[in-house]
Amino acid sequence: MEIKTSEYRIWVEDAVIHYEGTMRLSGTEAYQPIMAMMNDVLESQPEEITLDLVGLEFLNSSGINLLARFTIEVRKQKSIAIAVKGSTRIPWQSKSLPNLRKLHPTLQLNFV
Amino acid sequence: MRKQVGNTGIISTFKAGSLRLKLFPVPLGLAWKHCGITSDFLGDFYSARAVRGSVDANEIRHNVCYLVNEILENAVKFRTSGDIVIESSLENGNFRLCIANAISKEGALRFQDVLSGLQGRDPSELLIERIERNAADPNSTGSGLGLLTLMSDYGVQLGWDFQASSDAEGTVQLATYAVLPLP
Repeated sequence: MEIKTSEYRIWVEDAVIHYEGTMRLSGTEAYQPIMAMMNDVLESQPEEITLDLVGLEFLNSSGINLLARFTIEVRKQKSIAIAVKGSTRIPWQSKSLPNLRKLHPTLQLNFV
Repeated sequence: MRKQVGNTGIISTFKAGSLRLKLFPVPLGLAWKHCGITSDFLGDFYSARAVRGSVDANEIRHNVCYLVNEILENAVKFRTSGDIVIESSLENGNFRLCIANAISKEGALRFQDVLSGLQGRDPSELLIERIERNAADPNSTGSGLGLLTLMSDYGVQLGWDFQASSDAEGTVQLATYAVLPLP
Protein backbone atom coordinates (compact mmCIF):
# COMPACT_ATOMS: atom_id res chain seq x y z
CA MET A 1 0.00 0.00 0.00
CA GLU A 2 1.37 3.40 -0.99
CA ILE A 3 0.18 6.95 -1.54
CA LYS A 4 2.67 9.10 -3.39
CA THR A 5 2.67 12.67 -4.72
CA SER A 6 5.47 15.09 -5.61
CA GLU A 7 5.36 16.41 -2.00
CA TYR A 8 4.90 13.35 0.18
CA ARG A 9 4.86 9.58 0.27
CA ILE A 10 3.16 7.21 2.71
CA TRP A 11 3.67 3.50 2.57
CA VAL A 12 3.03 0.44 4.72
CA GLU A 13 5.43 -2.40 5.53
CA ASP A 14 3.86 -5.05 7.77
CA ALA A 15 2.33 -2.95 10.54
CA VAL A 16 4.71 -0.01 10.11
CA ILE A 17 3.30 3.08 8.39
CA HIS A 18 6.05 5.32 6.99
CA TYR A 19 5.59 9.02 6.20
CA GLU A 20 7.97 11.15 4.18
CA GLY A 21 8.04 14.73 2.86
CA THR A 22 5.72 17.69 3.46
CA MET A 23 1.99 17.28 4.10
CA ARG A 24 -0.22 20.39 3.94
CA LEU A 25 -3.54 19.01 2.74
CA SER A 26 -6.58 21.24 2.95
CA GLY A 27 -8.61 19.53 5.68
CA THR A 28 -10.10 16.36 7.14
CA GLU A 29 -11.65 15.34 3.81
CA ALA A 30 -8.39 15.75 1.89
CA TYR A 31 -6.64 13.52 4.44
CA GLN A 32 -9.34 10.84 4.11
CA PRO A 33 -7.46 8.51 1.67
CA ILE A 34 -4.52 8.48 4.09
CA MET A 35 -6.82 7.80 7.06
CA ALA A 36 -8.38 4.92 5.07
CA MET A 37 -4.95 3.38 4.49
CA MET A 38 -4.12 3.69 8.20
CA ASN A 39 -7.47 2.12 9.14
CA ASP A 40 -6.71 -0.84 6.85
CA VAL A 41 -3.62 -1.54 8.95
CA LEU A 42 -5.71 -1.30 12.12
CA GLU A 43 -8.32 -3.70 10.72
CA SER A 44 -5.62 -6.30 10.06
CA GLN A 45 -5.39 -6.55 13.89
CA PRO A 46 -1.60 -6.56 14.36
CA GLU A 47 -0.15 -6.71 17.90
CA GLU A 48 1.48 -3.34 17.43
CA ILE A 49 1.25 -0.52 14.89
CA THR A 50 4.20 1.82 14.34
CA LEU A 51 3.92 5.29 12.82
CA ASP A 52 7.35 6.15 11.43
CA LEU A 53 7.47 9.95 11.07
CA VAL A 54 11.26 10.33 10.90
CA GLY A 55 11.09 11.52 7.27
CA LEU A 56 8.04 13.79 7.68
CA GLU A 57 9.55 17.29 7.59
CA PHE A 58 6.31 19.28 7.80
CA LEU A 59 2.72 18.54 8.82
CA ASN A 60 -0.06 21.13 9.08
CA SER A 61 -2.60 21.15 11.90
CA SER A 62 -5.17 19.18 9.85
CA GLY A 63 -2.51 16.49 9.54
CA ILE A 64 -1.90 16.58 13.29
CA ASN A 65 -5.63 16.02 13.65
CA LEU A 66 -5.27 12.92 11.44
CA LEU A 67 -2.58 11.43 13.72
CA ALA A 68 -4.66 12.27 16.78
CA ARG A 69 -7.83 10.70 15.36
CA PHE A 70 -5.95 7.54 14.49
CA THR A 71 -4.42 7.39 17.98
CA ILE A 72 -7.95 7.52 19.42
CA GLU A 73 -9.06 4.71 17.06
CA VAL A 74 -6.20 2.53 18.30
CA ARG A 75 -7.01 3.44 21.91
CA LYS A 76 -10.44 1.84 21.46
CA GLN A 77 -8.80 -1.53 20.69
CA LYS A 78 -7.23 -2.74 23.91
CA SER A 79 -5.26 -5.59 22.26
CA ILE A 80 -3.37 -3.35 19.81
CA ALA A 81 -0.34 -1.32 20.91
CA ILE A 82 0.92 1.78 19.13
CA ALA A 83 4.41 3.21 18.80
CA VAL A 84 5.38 6.54 17.22
CA LYS A 85 8.87 7.16 15.95
CA GLY A 86 9.90 10.79 15.55
CA SER A 87 13.01 12.84 14.88
CA THR A 88 14.53 15.41 17.25
CA ARG A 89 15.77 17.22 14.13
CA ILE A 90 12.23 18.13 13.07
CA PRO A 91 10.77 20.85 15.37
CA TRP A 92 7.02 20.14 14.91
CA GLN A 93 7.55 16.60 16.12
CA SER A 94 9.14 17.40 19.48
CA LYS A 95 6.50 20.14 19.98
CA SER A 96 3.30 18.37 18.96
CA LEU A 97 3.82 14.61 19.20
CA PRO A 98 3.73 14.54 23.04
CA ASN A 99 0.02 15.46 22.69
CA LEU A 100 -0.58 11.93 21.37
CA ARG A 101 0.56 10.51 24.71
CA LYS A 102 -1.97 12.69 26.49
CA LEU A 103 -4.65 11.03 24.36
CA HIS A 104 -3.29 7.51 24.82
CA PRO A 105 -0.84 7.21 27.75
CA THR A 106 0.47 3.73 26.78
CA LEU A 107 1.53 5.02 23.34
CA GLN A 108 5.30 4.55 22.96
CA LEU A 109 6.92 7.76 21.73
CA ASN A 110 10.54 7.41 20.63
CA PHE A 111 12.77 10.05 19.14
CA VAL A 112 15.87 9.30 17.11
CA MET B 1 -17.88 48.79 14.39
CA ARG B 2 -14.49 47.72 15.66
CA LYS B 3 -13.74 44.83 17.99
CA GLN B 4 -10.44 43.54 19.31
CA VAL B 5 -10.08 40.10 20.87
CA GLY B 6 -7.28 38.06 22.44
CA ASN B 7 -3.96 39.65 23.31
CA THR B 8 -4.83 43.22 22.31
CA GLY B 9 -1.46 44.54 23.53
CA ILE B 10 0.31 42.97 20.57
CA ILE B 11 -2.09 44.75 18.21
CA SER B 12 -1.39 48.25 19.46
CA THR B 13 2.39 47.73 19.49
CA PHE B 14 2.63 46.26 15.98
CA LYS B 15 4.91 48.30 13.74
CA ALA B 16 5.02 48.27 9.97
CA GLY B 17 7.20 45.29 9.37
CA SER B 18 10.40 44.73 7.51
CA LEU B 19 8.59 42.72 4.88
CA ARG B 20 5.17 43.19 3.30
CA LEU B 21 3.60 40.75 0.86
CA LYS B 22 0.28 40.93 -0.93
CA LEU B 23 -1.47 37.86 -2.34
CA PHE B 24 -4.03 38.67 -5.02
CA PRO B 25 -7.18 36.53 -5.25
CA VAL B 26 -6.69 33.33 -7.27
CA PRO B 27 -8.69 30.06 -7.40
CA LEU B 28 -8.68 28.10 -4.15
CA GLY B 29 -6.42 25.25 -5.30
CA LEU B 30 -3.72 27.67 -6.40
CA ALA B 31 -4.20 29.87 -3.30
CA TRP B 32 -3.59 26.76 -1.19
CA LYS B 33 -0.26 26.16 -2.94
CA HIS B 34 0.63 29.82 -2.37
CA CYS B 35 0.16 29.27 1.40
CA GLY B 36 2.92 26.66 1.39
CA ILE B 37 5.25 28.64 -0.88
CA THR B 38 4.78 31.86 1.12
CA SER B 39 5.32 30.22 4.50
CA ASP B 40 8.43 28.39 3.23
CA PHE B 41 9.75 31.72 1.92
CA LEU B 42 9.19 33.55 5.22
CA GLY B 43 10.77 30.65 7.12
CA ASP B 44 13.89 30.93 4.95
CA PHE B 45 13.86 34.74 5.07
CA TYR B 46 13.87 34.96 8.88
CA SER B 47 16.23 32.05 9.49
CA ALA B 48 18.88 33.72 7.32
CA ARG B 49 20.18 35.68 10.33
CA ALA B 50 21.12 32.45 12.14
CA VAL B 51 24.16 30.37 11.20
CA ARG B 52 23.24 28.32 8.17
CA GLY B 53 22.52 24.70 9.04
CA SER B 54 22.57 25.34 12.82
CA VAL B 55 19.92 24.05 15.23
CA ASP B 56 18.59 27.58 15.68
CA ALA B 57 18.27 28.21 11.94
CA ASN B 58 16.33 24.96 11.58
CA GLU B 59 14.06 25.83 14.50
CA ILE B 60 13.41 29.41 13.33
CA ARG B 61 12.70 28.29 9.77
CA HIS B 62 10.25 25.65 10.90
CA ASN B 63 8.45 27.67 13.58
CA VAL B 64 7.97 30.72 11.35
CA CYS B 65 6.83 28.44 8.53
CA TYR B 66 4.26 26.63 10.72
CA LEU B 67 2.85 29.88 12.13
CA VAL B 68 2.53 31.64 8.76
CA ASN B 69 1.08 28.52 7.11
CA GLU B 70 -1.67 28.08 9.72
CA ILE B 71 -2.83 31.71 9.76
CA LEU B 72 -2.61 31.92 5.98
CA GLU B 73 -4.60 28.69 5.51
CA ASN B 74 -7.40 30.29 7.59
CA ALA B 75 -7.19 33.50 5.53
CA VAL B 76 -7.47 31.54 2.27
CA LYS B 77 -10.35 29.40 3.58
CA PHE B 78 -12.47 32.22 4.97
CA ARG B 79 -11.71 35.25 2.81
CA THR B 80 -14.67 36.55 0.84
CA SER B 81 -12.81 38.63 -1.72
CA GLY B 82 -9.84 40.91 -2.10
CA ASP B 83 -6.17 40.57 -1.27
CA ILE B 84 -4.44 38.96 1.67
CA VAL B 85 -1.78 41.25 3.12
CA ILE B 86 1.06 39.75 5.14
CA GLU B 87 3.33 41.95 7.24
CA SER B 88 6.15 40.61 9.35
CA SER B 89 9.20 41.67 11.30
CA LEU B 90 11.78 40.55 13.80
CA GLU B 91 11.87 42.50 17.04
CA ASN B 92 13.64 41.75 20.34
CA GLY B 93 13.96 38.06 19.55
CA ASN B 94 10.32 37.74 18.53
CA PHE B 95 8.89 37.09 15.10
CA ARG B 96 5.87 39.37 14.60
CA LEU B 97 3.19 38.75 12.03
CA CYS B 98 0.00 40.41 10.84
CA ILE B 99 -2.22 38.80 8.20
CA ALA B 100 -5.22 40.83 6.97
CA ASN B 101 -8.12 39.82 4.76
CA ALA B 102 -11.87 40.35 4.31
CA ILE B 103 -14.39 37.86 5.71
CA SER B 104 -18.20 37.77 5.72
CA LYS B 105 -20.23 39.35 8.51
CA GLU B 106 -21.60 35.91 9.49
CA GLY B 107 -18.09 34.43 9.39
CA ALA B 108 -16.87 37.21 11.69
CA LEU B 109 -19.63 36.54 14.24
CA ARG B 110 -18.98 32.77 14.19
CA PHE B 111 -15.24 33.33 14.62
CA GLN B 112 -15.78 35.78 17.50
CA ASP B 113 -17.91 33.14 19.16
CA VAL B 114 -15.13 30.53 18.79
CA LEU B 115 -12.58 33.00 20.17
CA SER B 116 -14.68 33.87 23.21
CA GLY B 117 -14.63 30.15 24.10
CA LEU B 118 -10.80 30.30 24.26
CA GLN B 119 -10.53 33.22 26.67
CA GLY B 120 -9.11 32.44 30.07
CA ARG B 121 -8.61 28.73 29.34
CA ASP B 122 -5.39 26.71 29.22
CA PRO B 123 -4.61 26.20 25.50
CA SER B 124 -3.12 22.73 26.02
CA GLU B 125 -6.34 21.55 27.71
CA LEU B 126 -8.43 23.13 24.96
CA LEU B 127 -6.30 21.36 22.35
CA ILE B 128 -6.93 17.91 23.83
CA GLU B 129 -10.65 18.67 24.28
CA ARG B 130 -10.92 19.77 20.67
CA ILE B 131 -9.12 16.64 19.39
CA GLU B 132 -11.49 14.39 21.37
CA ARG B 133 -14.49 16.34 20.03
CA ASN B 134 -13.25 16.02 16.41
CA ALA B 135 -12.75 12.27 16.84
CA ALA B 136 -16.23 11.81 18.30
CA ASP B 137 -17.87 13.63 15.38
CA PRO B 138 -17.60 11.69 12.11
CA ASN B 139 -18.92 14.71 10.20
CA SER B 140 -16.37 17.23 11.42
CA THR B 141 -14.65 18.81 8.43
CA GLY B 142 -12.32 21.46 9.85
CA SER B 143 -9.93 20.40 12.60
CA GLY B 144 -9.85 23.78 14.39
CA LEU B 145 -6.42 22.82 15.69
CA GLY B 146 -4.37 25.54 13.97
CA LEU B 147 -4.73 28.31 16.55
CA LEU B 148 -4.71 25.84 19.46
CA THR B 149 -1.44 24.15 18.41
CA LEU B 150 0.15 27.58 17.93
CA MET B 151 -0.79 28.69 21.45
CA SER B 152 -0.21 25.35 23.16
CA ASP B 153 2.84 23.91 21.38
CA TYR B 154 4.63 27.05 20.12
CA GLY B 155 3.85 29.63 22.84
CA VAL B 156 2.43 32.03 20.25
CA GLN B 157 0.44 35.05 21.46
CA LEU B 158 -2.49 35.97 19.25
CA GLY B 159 -4.77 38.97 18.85
CA TRP B 160 -7.58 39.69 16.40
CA ASP B 161 -8.88 42.98 15.06
CA PHE B 162 -12.33 43.05 13.40
CA GLN B 163 -13.28 46.18 11.50
CA ALA B 164 -16.68 46.40 9.78
CA SER B 165 -16.56 47.97 6.33
CA SER B 166 -19.21 50.27 4.90
CA ASP B 167 -19.90 48.22 1.76
CA ALA B 168 -23.37 46.81 0.99
CA GLU B 169 -22.41 43.21 1.81
CA GLY B 170 -21.20 44.24 5.26
CA THR B 171 -17.85 42.45 4.95
CA VAL B 172 -15.48 42.63 7.87
CA GLN B 173 -11.77 43.32 7.61
CA LEU B 174 -9.98 40.85 9.89
CA ALA B 175 -6.36 41.27 10.94
CA THR B 176 -4.74 38.41 12.85
CA TYR B 177 -1.67 39.40 14.89
CA ALA B 178 0.85 36.91 16.21
CA VAL B 179 4.04 37.04 18.27
CA LEU B 180 6.30 34.00 18.21
CA PRO B 181 9.29 33.85 20.59
CA LEU B 182 12.38 32.62 18.73
CA PRO B 183 15.27 30.55 20.15
